Amino acid sequence: MTSVDIGAAPPRQQPWVASVLHNDALKKIVVLALLCGAWEGSVRGFHVNALLFPSFSDVVAHLAKGLGIAPGGTGELWGYIWQTLSVILESFAISIVLAVVVTGLAVSNAWMRQFLSVMTGIFQPLPSIALLPMAILWFGFSRQSLIFVVVMSMIWPIASSLTVGFATISPTLMRLGRNFELGRMRMMGEILLPAALPMTISGLRIGWGFGWRTIVAAELVFGATGNSGGIGWYIDNSRLFMNIADGFAGILLVVIVGLFTESLFRLVQYLTTHKWGTESF
Amino acid sequence: MVAVLSRVQTAVRPDLVAIDGVSIAFPRTRGRGTVVAVQDVSVAIRRGEKFVILGPSGCGKSTLLTAIGGFLPLSSGEIRVDGKPVKKPSMNRLLVFQDFGLLPWRTVLGNVQWAVSKRWHDKPAAECKARAMHYVELVGLGPQAEQYPSTLSGGQKQRCAIARAFAVQPEILLMDEPFGALDAINRERMQVELNRLWAAESEKVTIVFVTHDVNEAVHLGNRIMVMSRGPGRIRSLVDNPSVGSPPHDVQALKLVEELRALLKD
Repeated sequence: MTSVDIGAAPPRQQPWVASVLHNDALKKIVVLALLCGAWEGSVRGFHVNALLFPSFSDVVAHLAKGLGIAPGGTGELWGYIWQTLSVILESFAISIVLAVVVTGLAVSNAWMRQFLSVMTGIFQPLPSIALLPMAILWFGFSRQSLIFVVVMSMIWPIASSLTVGFATISPTLMRLGRNFELGRMRMMGEILLPAALPMTISGLRIGWGFGWRTIVAAELVFGATGNSGGIGWYIDNSRLFMNIADGFAGILLVVIVGLFTESLFRLVQYLTTHKWGTESF
Repeated sequence: MVAVLSRVQTAVRPDLVAIDGVSIAFPRTRGRGTVVAVQDVSVAIRRGEKFVILGPSGCGKSTLLTAIGGFLPLSSGEIRVDGKPVKKPSMNRLLVFQDFGLLPWRTVLGNVQWAVSKRWHDKPAAECKARAMHYVELVGLGPQAEQYPSTLSGGQKQRCAIARAFAVQPEILLMDEPFGALDAINRERMQVELNRLWAAESEKVTIVFVTHDVNEAVHLGNRIMVMSRGPGRIRSLVDNPSVGSPPHDVQALKLVEELRALLKD
């Protein structure tokens, strides 16, 4: 048997270079490090006014102080971010309950289905931050206004993905449920909800994203209700008091929290739809 | 015209399913009127036999099978199981689907165990699991018991569905072209498997098997009902003494030829 020449062997690489070239996560870390380096370098190198654009190290220092990690810090950022999170979590819960109720009605009633479809068609394309002035008119500068606006951003994607999830359940599984004489509740819990889970998680993720953007933006307009404020308010407030580095630190914290919640969703997906092979992105 | 070609009179088994002048029609999706899927079918299926409904696609055989299960309303006539008319689905008339119908969020063992627990509400979980495991191993899926259906091949998925079906111990197994989605080799293997499983049970379950594959019909069915389409009617009802014989058996091949000729009309 003649041997086939498949070309010369690739040149030997250093092991760590090879691992970076083949590993996506490591590549991301390298890119991130380069970006931070470029940030630091260009701000210091071009002598950019710290009141316009602080350096990376400056921002990190202020973030650490705000989180109470660095000495001399107040740890005040925890309070602000918790204020924001508490509003979005409450809105999330309200949106889910309302979406499940409306979808449950829409599944069995054609009129409800069309009502939901029309409402979604009108309100989903509307950035609900535009409703904030009206909300202030109706509810005043209160937590209710913020919750109203955030719920209006989250409920439509959640309800519509739940509807699609239920509508696209395999008819075979529905027939299986009937064959095993499942009552309505069991059908819902043992067949419908697990089957609709991929779309449900997708909808929750999108809804959360809309809600997060909305709450941070709304807080820029007014984020202090009573004597506590959210992270959006903190960012704008820092600008007012010329604590630019603090403002950037707030932005960085918003990014970090966003990444954290995203990884929570991915964890839920990993434990459920990814394991079952029914993932839908 | 119903031509009955009867060869050897098989041992008399009592009737289990009486299909009496059944017609099934669906409203047209567009326009008025109805589409008649099944017209005036009358036949009796005996207890413990393997009854094959053979026909080309669109002849209403799946529709008739689903109606036996109680999933569809009849336009006329009646279907009686054990003397009682069929009104709604029951675990005693269990469907086996062409696309397997496994719950993707449960493992192989979990799927069968779920079915067993639905069948016998007051059976403790450990017993359900033991019974499920017995059938999972019986179909040869022991090593795959903790795997999720998405990681299985088509043949393995169907074996899991069949394990589930036998574990539930229904009176009647309604199989709707269950091997249609499998490749030729797997199909033959599964036919042998099904015969083996059916024979192994002390109480022979009654199987109603729908297919368009003549070879499959001859290999599996004690009796074969040939349906013609437009609208679905009985063309012929044949006894099959060559059930279970290898594919090159002379008598079996002759029957295959006869049935093929019937299907061509």
